Amino acid sequence: MIPRNRALPSEEKIISVRNLKFVYEGGVEALRGINLDIRSGEFLAIVGGNGSGKTTLAKNFNGLLRPTGGTVRVADKPASELTVAQLSRIIGYAFQNPDHQLFCASVEEEVRFGPVNLGYPEDEVKAKVEHAIEAMDIHSVRALPPHSLRLSERRRVSIASVIAMDPRVIILDEPTTGLDAGETKALMAKVSQLNREGRTVVLITHDMRLVAEHASRVVVMSDGRIVLDSDPRGAFADLDLLRNCSLVPPPVMLLAHSLAKYGVPRDIISPQELVMRIVLGKGDVR
Amino acid sequence: MESMEGPARPPQSPAKFVSPKVVALYAMLTALTTAVTMTLVIPLPTRGYYNVGESMVFFAAFTFGWRAGMICGGIGSAAADLLLGYGFFAPITLVAKGAEGLVAGILGNLKGGAPWARIAGIWAGGSCMVATYFFAEWIFLGFGVALTELPANVFQVLLGGLIGLMLSQAVAVYRNPRSKQA
Amino acid sequence: MTGFVDLFTESNSALHRMDPRVKIASVIFLSLLALIISELGYLLVLAGVMVLLLLIGRASFSKTMFAFSYVSRVMLLIVVLWPIFDPSGTPVLLEFGPIKITGPGILAGLATAVRVFCLAAVWYVLMFTTSQRDLVRALVKLGLRFDYGLSLAISLRFLPTFGATVESIKDAQRARGLELDRGGVAKRARNYLAVLVPTTITALKTADTLALALQSRAYGARADRTYLRELSMRAIDYVALVVVVAAFALPFAAKYLLSMPL
Repeated sequence: MIPRNRALPSEEKIISVRNLKFVYEGGVEALRGINLDIRSGEFLAIVGGNGSGKTTLAKNFNGLLRPTGGTVRVADKPASELTVAQLSRIIGYAFQNPDHQLFCASVEEEVRFGPVNLGYPEDEVKAKVEHAIEAMDIHSVRALPPHSLRLSERRRVSIASVIAMDPRVIILDEPTTGLDAGETKALMAKVSQLNREGRTVVLITHDMRLVAEHASRVVVMSDGRIVLDSDPRGAFADLDLLRNCSLVPPPVMLLAHSLAKYGVPRDIISPQELVMRIVLGKGDVR
Repeated sequence: MESMEGPARPPQSPAKFVSPKVVALYAMLTALTTAVTMTLVIPLPTRGYYNVGESMVFFAAFTFGWRAGMICGGIGSAAADLLLGYGFFAPITLVAKGAEGLVAGILGNLKGGAPWARIAGIWAGGSCMVATYFFAEWIFLGFGVALTELPANVFQVLLGGLIGLMLSQAVAVYRNPRSKQA
Repeated sequence: MTGFVDLFTESNSALHRMDPRVKIASVIFLSLLALIISELGYLLVLAGVMVLLLLIGRASFSKTMFAFSYVSRVMLLIVVLWPIFDPSGTPVLLEFGPIKITGPGILAGLATAVRVFCLAAVWYVLMFTTSQRDLVRALVKLGLRFDYGLSLAISLRFLPTFGATVESIKDAQRARGLELDRGGVAKRARNYLAVLVPTTITALKTADTLALALQSRAYGARADRTYLRELSMRAIDYVALVVVVAAFALPFAAKYLLSMPL
């Protein structure tokens, strides 16, 4: 049984993108017409090989990049009318390299930086900072300089500093790079918790196991286009598509595919499910 | 079994080179100065641009000493001139910023970097830089241009000194002691 | 736009092929030449030579325009401001209070501006036709100690990297609400720290790793090293060198030994 006690996404479209095109200076066409609606409360995974346009797309959400064609709407307002700072109230972006964001003398100051920039009154800043520190479990290091911490802690500080801005959407760009299995599990548990609290999570990754375990929806990108947009089961069913995008489905799924001729369904996304299906026969374990 | 002689010392390099640490550090500081000079410019309300590279000269001098300030600040700034297309300024910049780094490094590190020492360093180093530019511009570009550039250069030094000082304070937190983390 | 246009452009002109040491020497001699000539007419000739060099080197028009955008501003300032502070000679064209605008004053201003153009152009030709790697090698061949040369080479190699890092950090901090284009001087200083501190710390961490990498590659085992491509002077390089030295020496002699008006 896969525990998925997250809130169901509402019908509100928090980010809405129509025919989004983006061309870098120098002529590289990174996005070739993206259509996507992200619903508030979703846990969306954006996956794709290197150069498929994942990060470019995410940066178009929060205004760091502006579309060369098409439109982006955030919380039902055109993003073009909002500055990056204004958009950062709604969309938080935790960069892949936490060292690019850390610069304060202590973790606490670091987490304060965002909400202070947004101009919240002091008592609200304190509350948001406390909440973020609790959520990312960095209370024990709050007085230390961020750069003296290990990578997994620096990641959590960087994410906490984004959460403290109290955004409705959090974009995480490859947050588990460089983390060991235990650290990955711990971090993703906290990210799931954020989603359960009602925040929309956009996870950019190429670790399909994370996608299987946490995401409610997957968007597969290739060469600047969305080639698949469905729930994880649907995404993993098409092995050829994934292979063409340089993506590897979770091992258990490959196993299920190999066992398909013995009657095992292909859309298995966890080992427990595989065991259920094989041992208990064709029971419905959803 | 070999006897233990304590921590092994790496063999001394036969070539009389500066240590790899210095090569690496000076390379990074110089590149940093050039990169910052070329990419971080603050448009000033009254005139042109102020470039943040000024602060890197002071930073290098305060944190790493007068040699680093002179070499990295001087060469880094001059390289920026070369790469931005006004290479003829490069020799002047080399002397101006080199002197700035030298003086700021010597004065600024007195008494372990006391606040008054830092201020003296900024003031004296900045004066060297402003004076060098003023006289060089007077000779090569005429008194009029030299005079026009003067207030802007003074402002640049003050702002650069301030930012450089804050930068060295912020980084000092990490340098001693730095715990060995990933 | 930021200045990370790499001035060097791959091409196969005569200047590209010239030994970089000769080019460096040319820059020095031609700069000195521009400095000793003060007559506007001769400076214009020199400027013409510079343009010729740019053409021989197949300079890209857009990059040249970019490089000269700053210089042209300086030239304009000189032309406008010089006559105000140089009241020498006759005829006096305009006078208000202590300020006398004279004919010779204007000409001197123009001459200085053209000189600046020549100086800028000669350095630009060097940067445009010589790769950074060749520049460093030339310096080492001319006597720069290998470890200094190495430090310089590493520094150049990391420039684009740091440029990209600065941009990335700017983005990351903007995503936290940092606004770099607002605020008074004090606020802006603090804002720039949010970009400078991560950049500097990243650079220092890189320095640590680099030092280890150098040690593990037998840095310092020998005082010299061999190169895949050696710099060697061809006959035409010597000819060019002679021409450049003569181009400087003859006017120098004319002006200072024969007192010709140059």
